[in-house]
Amino acid sequence: MLATAAAVAVASAAVTSGIFAAAQSGSTRAVQVGQVPLIVYSAQGYDMNEVAAFQKATGIKTELLCDSTGPLLARIAAERNNPQWGLLWVDGNQPFAELDDEGALVRHYLPAANFNALGKSLLPSDHSYVPTGTTIAATLVYNSAKITNPPKTFEQLLQPQYNGLLGMNNPSVSGPTYPYVAGLMSYLGGVSKGEKFLTKLKANGLQIFDTNGNTLNALQTGQIDMATIQSSAILGVLATNPNYKIAFPKGVTLLPSDMAIDRHASKTVIAEAERFETYVLSKAGQHQMKIGDPHGDSNFWPVVQGGSPKAGVPSLSSIRYQAVNPYTWGPRESSINAWFTANIVS
Amino acid sequence: MGAQGVLDQRLVHSQHRELKLPYMAKLTWARARSVATEGRPVRRSALGAPARWGGFFLILLAPIAFFLLVAVVPAAVGQGSSWFTLAPFIAALSGPTLQGLVDSLALSASTAILSLAIALLLAWLVQRTNLRARVTWNFLIWVVLLTPSFLVALGWERLLQPEGVLADLGWPVAGLSHIFFSPLGVVFVDTTKGVPFAFLAISAALGALGREYEDAARIHGGGRATAIRTVLPILAPAMWSALAIVFAETISDFGVASTIANTANFPVATMTLFNAVDNFPVNFPVAAAVGWLLVASIGLALFAQSRALRGRSYQVLSGRSRASSRLQLSRRGQTVGIAVMVLFFGLTLGVPAIAVASASLLKPTASAITLNSFTLNNYVALAHHPSTLGPIGLSTALALVATTLAVGLGLIVARILTRRRSGASARILDLLLLATVGLPGILLGAGYIFVYNLPALATVGLRLYGTLFLLDVAYLANTLPITARLLSGPMAQIQFGLHDAARVHGRSALGAWRSTVVPLLSRTLLWAWLFGFAGLLFELPISQLLYPPGQEPLSVAITAAFANFSYAPGTTLMVASVAYALAVVGLALLGFRLLAPKGWQRVGVAR
Repeated sequence: MLATAAAVAVASAAVTSGIFAAAQSGSTRAVQVGQVPLIVYSAQGYDMNEVAAFQKATGIKTELLCDSTGPLLARIAAERNNPQWGLLWVDGNQPFAELDDEGALVRHYLPAANFNALGKSLLPSDHSYVPTGTTIAATLVYNSAKITNPPKTFEQLLQPQYNGLLGMNNPSVSGPTYPYVAGLMSYLGGVSKGEKFLTKLKANGLQIFDTNGNTLNALQTGQIDMATIQSSAILGVLATNPNYKIAFPKGVTLLPSDMAIDRHASKTVIAEAERFETYVLSKAGQHQMKIGDPHGDSNFWPVVQGGSPKAGVPSLSSIRYQAVNPYTWGPRESSINAWFTANIVS
Repeated sequence: MGAQGVLDQRLVHSQHRELKLPYMAKLTWARARSVATEGRPVRRSALGAPARWGGFFLILLAPIAFFLLVAVVPAAVGQGSSWFTLAPFIAALSGPTLQGLVDSLALSASTAILSLAIALLLAWLVQRTNLRARVTWNFLIWVVLLTPSFLVALGWERLLQPEGVLADLGWPVAGLSHIFFSPLGVVFVDTTKGVPFAFLAISAALGALGREYEDAARIHGGGRATAIRTVLPILAPAMWSALAIVFAETISDFGVASTIANTANFPVATMTLFNAVDNFPVNFPVAAAVGWLLVASIGLALFAQSRALRGRSYQVLSGRSRASSRLQLSRRGQTVGIAVMVLFFGLTLGVPAIAVASASLLKPTASAITLNSFTLNNYVALAHHPSTLGPIGLSTALALVATTLAVGLGLIVARILTRRRSGASARILDLLLLATVGLPGILLGAGYIFVYNLPALATVGLRLYGTLFLLDVAYLANTLPITARLLSGPMAQIQFGLHDAARVHGRSALGAWRSTVVPLLSRTLLWAWLFGFAGLLFELPISQLLYPPGQEPLSVAITAAFANFSYAPGTTLMVASVAYALAVVGLALLGFRLLAPKGWQRVGVAR
């Protein structure tokens, strides 16, 4: 009986593999004559458009693994013994700095692109990753029907008039929120000063929600009247309610979208990935980024010369922003998130 | 003791074979086998046991072992430079991680007991009384089982938040909200999710339990309470099975952990494990140490179960069991019974339905919920967008294959687990299976990468990681344990005399199972299949870690929609998928009713 069962299992497994053989033919990593597919791990909303346009323009077969940043980085970490990715494209410098410290990234390669001053300022000295655009980790969205005088600095959020009105995401759950918390701490002068500020903010009625969706829902239902969320998400929802307005308190933190190449990939794949980077930073590539996700990631500021942001995205020159050192703040993510969960989430 | 049993007669007819059951039932398993061997040599493959254990090693043991190994030998799979360390355990047994573990144990134990108590009441009403609309209640239990736990959590949040649905209706919610966003609320939501597991584990047993045991108690002068005291211990295997499943399911749940538990500042083990893997730098060693501790706690639960059941036989379900009679409820009894059902399903289904409706039917421009702001545009857009239908098709194919294999193999595993003289190997198997239920999927998925992405495998040309085949094998590994556990309760109650008799009369091993065990378990098998199918349709953590580039399963597509701020389309895709899963369930149940032999349908159904 059990032997029969085992035989059935083996046979079924064979059938299963047969069933999926056809589906597999388009996606295996088997070496094809003259061409190896480039595997892109991406969390960008416009990545499907970009990959399709790149394939069409270059003929290089490109496969996209599209997911949130957290699962993609977990997958890369689990693959450490035998990496399968060719190019990683997610928001935030910190993960790239960590991967660079591990020696996982190709260094000293710059795609043929004319970076503007902003782009140059975001490049790491060893060129282990390159920015493709930038958003702001978190800035203020508020309901102008309820708040007529929004705060101009983060410190003003502690004023009694804003008691109980502010919401934000939990950095342990929401990917882009840690860079905001790290940036806030850096702007305020360090971890302990940042912790003190967040504790006071909590005392002034700060409410924590899991992700952008929950926080925006709280804004929509009137549970809160303002929230700190990634700029691209805010610009995406402004059209849904004429009362929603965006504001940029002094010291908001940039959240660049970056690309990096796997150092352990084959020479062919590395060459393909380099061409992908060059394409994304070209005029055609930037256009795909602008049209690929109009209600989300397409609301970015360009980092190459001649680029202009999508209509509706305010000029960055009017915003007093900062960038944080990812090599300093990246390794602190776990401990700061743990502190936040224990002390601010309630 | 009553008229000639009718159920066995039907089974005999369905087999077109005359069996002298009273005589055959006296045969022991061993004797039947020896008799069969005398008549015709029984073909036994020398490869049977090694093949079986080899299979379990490849799909379950190796990935779990590799993941757990990371806690002690991180360097083995490139997760650090250390070849031996206990530091991850020290980290796991301190601070918030330890608190998460303690919380998880308390939460899972209380959820299991509460779920069992409620499930016993519901199952008794449905299986042993003439309560109206029983088919509907049975169906709704499935709907509860299929509803993702985070949707239930989201529904309650929408209902109780300061300007949520109740507040809009002018109800004071502050006090209720305070109670709900606390450990009590977490237990409450987990219990509503646990009840269907417990219900399914015990309802087959409760419904199939012949009335002879109650009759015996009553004839000997016992009252109704004595009858209940007599019958309840007979249900012990099913009740323990229910407790174990709910315990393991709750300890591995992520949907409630990441929503209400998180908001209530009630850290549980799955959340701390998730934080170790989701925050960068990814810390697999600490996650593995938490995994060890979860396995240990499940081991303790299993130990309790085996101590409680050891050395006893609970084989009471056979072709000879007489259909139980239903308690005829008075009009008042009917009212109370229906009120219980409406209350339970209102709490478990009504609330998430409100959340889903309010989220997915909202127009993007809506600033407040009004009738005017509801729209079906999201659903129309979904139907016309092929890229959203692809993931549904892919997940259907993957779930279909994995679940069918899981039910087939689960049947065998359940038999091994419930065989009285099964020995240490079955106990190890049991621990392994329940550990898989209790370990979060993210851990199994990572274990699969550690094993099947080993450079050594690539050098011999075996590239399994990044294929749909490996994803489906992982789905099988994820589903087989819970399927086997769902089947083992009812399996423990089957008298194998009937099977042995079929063997004596010349049936092959497979034929004997098909004609005796399968009919007796047919309804449970169908339920187990549907549960596995619906679960895999929405499986997320394993899918995220193992899906091949360009071939997104349904859950990944839904998550991606949410991650890219496409809330309304994401929710719409989710609702459409839940509706699709329910349609499959409905069709399967209808198919069973129309196509399955009448004898199969009557097993375990009280009249």
